[in-house]
Amino acid sequence: MENYLNNKDDLRVAGNNVTRNSYVTVTIDGCEIQAPAGEILAVTLFVNGYRTLKYSPRIKEPRGFFCLMGSCQECVVLVDETITPACQKLVQEGIIVKTIKI
Amino acid sequence: MSKVIDDNVQKIDVVVLGAGPAGVAAATIASEHGADVAIIDENISGGGQIYRAPPKEYETHDSFKSPESYEGDRQRNYLSNSKVKTYFNYRVWSISQELVVSTISANGLKSWRPKALILANGALERIIPFPGWTLPGVMGLAACTILLKSQFVLPGRSTVVAGCGPLLMSVAYAIVKAGGNVSAIVDLSSKSEWVRVFPKMLSRPDLLLQGMKWLWKLKNEGIKIYNGYTVTKSEKDNDRLAITIAPFNHSGVNTDPKFQKLVEGECLAIGHGLIPSTEITRLLKAKHKYDLLKGGWVPVIDDEFRTSIPNVFIAGDASGISGAFSAVHKGRIAGLSALRDLNMISLKESKHKINNERNLLNKTENFGQAAAYLMRSRPELIKTITAETIVCRCEDVFRAEIDETIVSGAVDMNQLKAWTRCGMGPCQGRTCADSIEAILTSVVGSRELAGQWTGRAPLRPIPIEQIIGDYSYSDIPIPESAPL
Amino acid sequence: MGCSTALHISRKKLKTVIIDSGALCREASGTNAGTLTLNMTRAALIPYAIKGWELWNSTEQWLYGDVGTISVNGLSLAFTEREEELLIKRAEARKAMGAPIEIVSSKKAQQLEPGLRQSVRSAAWCPKDGFTSAYLTGHAFRKVLNNEGVQIQEYFKVNKIDNENKYFLICNENGEFIKSKRIVLAGGVWLEYMLSLLNIFIPIKCLINQLIITERVEPVMKTVLSIANGLLSLKQFANGTVLIGGGWQGIGDTERGGVEAIPKNLVGNIRLACHTIPKLRFGRMARVWLGLEAETSDALPIIGNVPGFDDAYVIGSVHSGYTSGPYMGWLLSQFITGKEPDMPLFDPSRLLTQ
Repeated sequence: MENYLNNKDDLRVAGNNVTRNSYVTVTIDGCEIQAPAGEILAVTLFVNGYRTLKYSPRIKEPRGFFCLMGSCQECVVLVDETITPACQKLVQEGIIVKTIKI
Repeated sequence: MSKVIDDNVQKIDVVVLGAGPAGVAAATIASEHGADVAIIDENISGGGQIYRAPPKEYETHDSFKSPESYEGDRQRNYLSNSKVKTYFNYRVWSISQELVVSTISANGLKSWRPKALILANGALERIIPFPGWTLPGVMGLAACTILLKSQFVLPGRSTVVAGCGPLLMSVAYAIVKAGGNVSAIVDLSSKSEWVRVFPKMLSRPDLLLQGMKWLWKLKNEGIKIYNGYTVTKSEKDNDRLAITIAPFNHSGVNTDPKFQKLVEGECLAIGHGLIPSTEITRLLKAKHKYDLLKGGWVPVIDDEFRTSIPNVFIAGDASGISGAFSAVHKGRIAGLSALRDLNMISLKESKHKINNERNLLNKTENFGQAAAYLMRSRPELIKTITAETIVCRCEDVFRAEIDETIVSGAVDMNQLKAWTRCGMGPCQGRTCADSIEAILTSVVGSRELAGQWTGRAPLRPIPIEQIIGDYSYSDIPIPESAPL
Repeated sequence: MGCSTALHISRKKLKTVIIDSGALCREASGTNAGTLTLNMTRAALIPYAIKGWELWNSTEQWLYGDVGTISVNGLSLAFTEREEELLIKRAEARKAMGAPIEIVSSKKAQQLEPGLRQSVRSAAWCPKDGFTSAYLTGHAFRKVLNNEGVQIQEYFKVNKIDNENKYFLICNENGEFIKSKRIVLAGGVWLEYMLSLLNIFIPIKCLINQLIITERVEPVMKTVLSIANGLLSLKQFANGTVLIGGGWQGIGDTERGGVEAIPKNLVGNIRLACHTIPKLRFGRMARVWLGLEAETSDALPIIGNVPGFDDAYVIGSVHSGYTSGPYMGWLLSQFITGKEPDMPLFDPSRLLTQ
């Protein structure tokens, strides 16, 4: 079977079967990052290595996305200062995303 | 742009909540018979979880498409060609006792007052906690499916796939097809469990064949499949996860270290079955019953998918886990019942059409029931929830604290919630309710005695910015001052 | 109210049973905002609230546990001229009753509370405010009552009270009964019903108070806030969640309990909160619930003998009774054991209809 990975480090499946036509620039924790337009923010964070999105309330465990369907609320991040579940947000040009440090 | 509170509650014949296969079926059939219908879904388009659409900005080539992509597109087209009013990216946050459906979206607040309400809000994934289940990189099987099927992203360079049900093979196959690596498949079900459900699966030879094709492919890739095993621990090992698995059968989890095995991967996709989502039916105070083979707590319904609340109908997995194909027929039956109760079709016509759907439902249900059996709740699994395991993720509550609270007198779910804070966090208990119910049940004796958490609004956390909109101080209707 | 009364009575060596139709501390005490406030207490009740505040800040000594009491500055705010007038009037009334409340300028208010909207005009500052945890309190009361030999009878729904010879027979719908020489009615919004079981009729209004809690946010405030007209209660807990209250009404009654919020009131309450602490707008509303609260026709408590009975007592309807609860229970326990209460009680007979 054809290997669809562009390179070993990119989890985005590509090749001839999926074309991501346009890209947007988002800022994540101060870094400018390119993401395909239409991608779910939680996915963009994940593939770019931002696995820990916040810390749990009492024991301060690192947490990242878990259900990806808007139920568990683990993937909340700040999007333009507003608390947002990353799995319910699609990337848009110019959004400023911050992982939650409290 | 000024955001406005829509003070007007819009009157309408039917509101359908959820645009998955059941919701689309219910909405379209009602609309075809002349009802004024609105369908509401928090996603950007229809399809639910199973037929979730990839971004419209992507081009996916036909050779890459699965039967599900085609079915999803077909349903989305059917919906957009119908007269059903669609409200995507709208989140329902409350439904009043008078069935006023309140939503919030980027446009602010909006409410409807339907004559009939059809619920098609689907299911949640059950994941029984174990040490390390909260580590980033551990995700649900459903989450993994969304990554693969609607985002075309691999969960990791290598993945351990664990849990139960057909979703297990489906995810493993999808990873391999996309060029990824599955380090191991850890299936709760023993081989004899699969043998037991085989006859029911024969009712859908096409699906059975597909499953066997997947199994053959996975075996061919040399992927180890552990039957009758469960994950008991997940530990971070640099940028990978070291995952301990132990034998599991009807007498429970075998924690003898002699029989443990270690597998590893960059990530773990795990799911222990599907649970009907009861947050809306609990909010409306409908009657529920516990049905193991339907996925757990389900609303009590009659033959025509009416709940115990007048004018509230339910379809799809929310009425009992039986899969996407059954969902369509259940949706149509619910839609026809609503039409009947609204006097928009005659008794004769409704009986006739419902009968047809029921025959089709009976044909498709077998396979769904087999899947539901494999995905059923297994009470013995709570053994993997050790004393130091976090059970309520939102509030960081350990198993030890829950056990202690039960011993000190908490005898039902609501009391347990009040004393431990379990279920009080942003997820409103969706992630931990089933596990905590199972823990409590192991002490009090039955799910019925343990009870369920009382349903409350808001159904999801609501961004404050969206509720308040633009306003000035004088806009706030401050009631009379408190007495001096 | 009932728990503190039971505790104080039991410590005076009277054998005590506490009866609840459900679980202890789950009604008003379990659902309120936990605010310990002088700014929002009725002027006439200030002396009691001050004593109550002292008890809450020393729970190790009488409740033998930490119930998360936090003592912080309290500010009641004015954003308009009319509110300023109201503020001054209310502050004076409370000051006259002994509350350490002082009117401060906008600048000072912002110093005390940096998260405040800058357009605030002035504030009434009380250094003796704060809050405690409703659910920790229930836990603590249960434990200490158990340890001190108070019999706890939960899920006992009283539907009849018979008076036989010198005893009361307190009966439930299953035909079980508890025999007692004295009885204290402490049923909050159900007091009207309870009193009717003794053939006494005092109308008690049931308020359906809306409470909203947000998800955890970064620290956005460090005081307890309210507004001149008394209709906002705002505080941030140590775990980062912000509680928004103030008495906005929802839908419900004594039979069904709190049923649902009224969307307009939900929006109004939150708008008021965001007007006060602008940073709140970036958070999310996580839960809404409705707490039932009792209110008499003159908005003052009923504490004392049930009219016409020597051995039946009633305590409740204090409004902002969370703050003075422990102290009110103490006063009644003095009264019951034949002593002159340290502060005057509130004779229920004043409210008898007919």
